[in-house]
Amino acid sequence: MASAKDILDHFFLEMRWRTLSLAADLDRVERGEQSAALFKTDSRLQKLHKAFGILASASGNRAEQVQNLFSDTTAPPPR
Amino acid sequence: MKFIDPHIHCVSRTTDDYKFMQRCGVVAVSEPAFWAGFDRSSAASFGDYFRHLMDIEPKRAAMYGIDHYCWLCINAKEAENVALSREVIKLIPPLLNHPRVLGVGEIGLNKNTRNEITIFEEQVDIAAKYNQLILIHTPHLEDKHKGTSIITSILKNDQRIKPERVLIDHCEEHTIRMARDAGFWAGLTIYPVSKVTPVRGADLLEQFGPQMICVNSASDWGESHPANMIDTCLEYRRRGHSEVEALQIFFDNPCRFFSQSGKWKLKLGHSDTR
Repeated sequence: MASAKDILDHFFLEMRWRTLSLAADLDRVERGEQSAALFKTDSRLQKLHKAFGILASASGNRAEQVQNLFSDTTAPPPR
Repeated sequence: MKFIDPHIHCVSRTTDDYKFMQRCGVVAVSEPAFWAGFDRSSAASFGDYFRHLMDIEPKRAAMYGIDHYCWLCINAKEAENVALSREVIKLIPPLLNHPRVLGVGEIGLNKNTRNEITIFEEQVDIAAKYNQLILIHTPHLEDKHKGTSIITSILKNDQRIKPERVLIDHCEEHTIRMARDAGFWAGLTIYPVSKVTPVRGADLLEQFGPQMICVNSASDWGESHPANMIDTCLEYRRRGHSEVEALQIFFDNPCRFFSQSGKWKLKLGHSDTR
């Protein structure tokens, strides 16, 4: 396994690019008509903000935690 | 290095893709039956599709030095139509002895409905009765975790099903444990927007591999490409894993799983014995 610094050296520019891409995505949505209401009410955007929180605060299994955040948690259909 | 793409929908791909795979070293593929992008109008349409998978596509693949095998089923999306599904299921048993058919697949769930579950169970029953390997389709995006849980519960509760004869495909970070912990094979589909990217695929290989795990491109009529499987191997190798380790995942593992069918001809990749 490579060192954490070596891994970061390899991926940093791509991580930076992907972060910028997300920022630009949100800006684009915000420039759309009636965006203020959408940012307050749309569950997808709310989940994205929760996901950003996982990236910023969680440690370990971040990908799994984000996957679970975006998963349907309702019960299976009755049999 | 030699590769096997264990899940690719060749009927949706161009001859350029076959040429590309040949240049990359892909020597064999397996093609599950799936949704055509529209709901078919009759069981006869599936009969033609099965003939395409069993007889036509292997000849096309052979022109590029690729050994082509397939799986038969009605896919999860069209399984919502129970009456049609049962007509299609009747077509399957007489075809299971065909030398190119590895088993029943890709069966599973799409939106996790009651109808889908009913048809899934009926196809599991066919696989059990005829002692067939099973290739499982797990749902996409928000439906994946719940669907994978339902599927693995049904399979674990059926005493006839041996987990080592089942591959749970399209596993991701939040579902791979469900497959591995129960003794099933796990499949990673490198399909960047809705499934796993090559880099995340390499992450999962490092965390969970290399035993009982297969990597595929699931190239179909959507935005997908056979290169995604190759790119995953390149990323895995870039991280310092040897060619022998990569060969185990990208060649030997599908060989091991498919060989249980009794029809798969390729031998393990330690030497070129094709």
